[in-house]
Amino acid sequence: MKELMMILRKEFIHILRDRITLLLVLAMPVMLVLLFGFTISTEINNAKIAVLDLSKDSQSKLFLNKITASGYFQIVSYPNSETEIDHDFKNKNIKLAIIIPANFETKLAVDKKATIQIINDVSDLNVASVLNNYMRVVISDFVNEYNGNQSPPIPFGMSTQMAYNPQMESVYMFVPGIIALIMIIVTALMTSITLAREKESGTMRMLLITPVKKVYVVIGKIIPYMVLSLICTLLILVISVLVFQMPIKGSIWFLLFLCFVFMLTSASFGLMISAMVNTQLDAMMVTMMGLFLPTVLLSGFLFPLDNMPYFFQILADFFPAKWFIIAIKDVMIKGTGFLGIWKYLLILFVMAVILISVSLSRIDKRE
Amino acid sequence: MLLIMKMEKMYSIEVENLTKKFRHFTAVDNISFQVKKGEIFGFLGANGAGKTTAIKMMCGLLQPTSGKATIADFNLASDYKNIKRNIGYMSQRFSLYADLSLYENMQLFGTVYGIPRKELKDRIFNSLESLQMADKAKTLVYSIPLGWKQKLAFATAMLHEPKIVFLDEPTSGVDPIVRREFWNMIYEAAARGVTIFVTTHYMDEAEYCERVSIMSEGQLKIIGTPAQLKEEMQVDAIADVFQKFVKR
Repeated sequence: MKELMMILRKEFIHILRDRITLLLVLAMPVMLVLLFGFTISTEINNAKIAVLDLSKDSQSKLFLNKITASGYFQIVSYPNSETEIDHDFKNKNIKLAIIIPANFETKLAVDKKATIQIINDVSDLNVASVLNNYMRVVISDFVNEYNGNQSPPIPFGMSTQMAYNPQMESVYMFVPGIIALIMIIVTALMTSITLAREKESGTMRMLLITPVKKVYVVIGKIIPYMVLSLICTLLILVISVLVFQMPIKGSIWFLLFLCFVFMLTSASFGLMISAMVNTQLDAMMVTMMGLFLPTVLLSGFLFPLDNMPYFFQILADFFPAKWFIIAIKDVMIKGTGFLGIWKYLLILFVMAVILISVSLSRIDKRE
Repeated sequence: MLLIMKMEKMYSIEVENLTKKFRHFTAVDNISFQVKKGEIFGFLGANGAGKTTAIKMMCGLLQPTSGKATIADFNLASDYKNIKRNIGYMSQRFSLYADLSLYENMQLFGTVYGIPRKELKDRIFNSLESLQMADKAKTLVYSIPLGWKQKLAFATAMLHEPKIVFLDEPTSGVDPIVRREFWNMIYEAAARGVTIFVTTHYMDEAEYCERVSIMSEGQLKIIGTPAQLKEEMQVDAIADVFQKFVKR
């Protein structure tokens, strides 16, 4: 135990004396959250739209008021025909147009059915789909209100409900992803690099030649970076709550426990990598290509997994980030407890156990 | 019986038919030799002759393919963990932690060898004192000259009072004055009964050894006192003996 404490102390000294790396590691999460938060915002306010109102009755006026009141849209033009809509797309820079059918009020009251046509400018796919979603929210709001005033309520075709993230804030999407990325960088990358550094400098041989237990050397490497990674996670959470009003619905202690399990998995990946390589450069390349890239691409953080070819969906299952991101979203946004995410915790935990035992058996053997 | 026991205890290193194969390459080929307690034993050979592989096996870092060895009275196959407690090691590549101070390095290695804290403090203090580096205890290792580092590494390897110390080219890249001082430290340790197992490329250092062996292509070619080897090969210097065996 005294040996372990001494190795831990040495490892913390390494971290604290390497000021530049420490500064980078602590600044990175802050930079990433602010960068993603302010630049990659998918929110659009006051998008210019055109409205072709073919009925001009009280219900259509009500509906248009609802659109303007939402704050997402700004009606800049009232064309009189579909050709004029086309003209507006080209010349007035509108992003979306809606067509309200003739006899809107009657259709609602008598037919119990009305179709509002939405025309999108899909030359920018992201903007189009975001605006489309906003419009769906407005329409469903309108329908709900209409139904509330009617008795009995009319059955209405569409019922989209934006649950858990009604404002569709993009913070909700990227904060869990950034936490996963940072933890991969700090635990997996740093652990594998520093272990490889000791191999390069020959200090690993000096340690292995002593009677110290190899498990201590390994634990001594993992724990300090887990602590560092936890600090980074807290930084990310504090910024996302204070600056971006990200909610944390679930228990904060449970959230931290989930992060701890993911850190363990991530550190054991780092351990596995350092058992395979001999130089810092190799450690870095393998971690980047083998763990970091799959985390960015295959975790569902930036690109939805459902749209990927089946092969990649299966491949994604083998990287811890996917499971972690599903779980942390549930805990933060929905407030899910242990019963809801125990499966993901179990997957992460089993991954860690397998990786740690494989790499320990590799390190612990005399060649 | 008593006599045999005494005979056995004479040696601190006994190696018998030790072999290490990596796939089809035989790095160490069936070597056998003994080293007496308190002896300074020179282990010579060209680069790639298999010296480092042999030392790694004797230190318990590498599993031998075949053969037996008794190191510091412990069986290499069954008891390598006890061997580790009783040997010290220092390599050609300086390998203490550069971002730790002199004291922190010694404290780290002393602690992992299980030296009690108070005892360790005294030993480090004495050791730094005799190195005349006591005032540098808090200096970070990267800022001291190479010669000092090598002496520090040797002192660190001696902290837990090992019975045998393996020195793998300890003086390479060091100036002649420090080399002299380094060998004085080796003599002092040997005088205290520590067995010194040293590899070197400096032939004048080979002459300082009580006995030397020369390895080539994994095999132990010749072994004896420097005087014996020179007489046997009818040359004037160990350097010439060396030349005869490593000529390719």
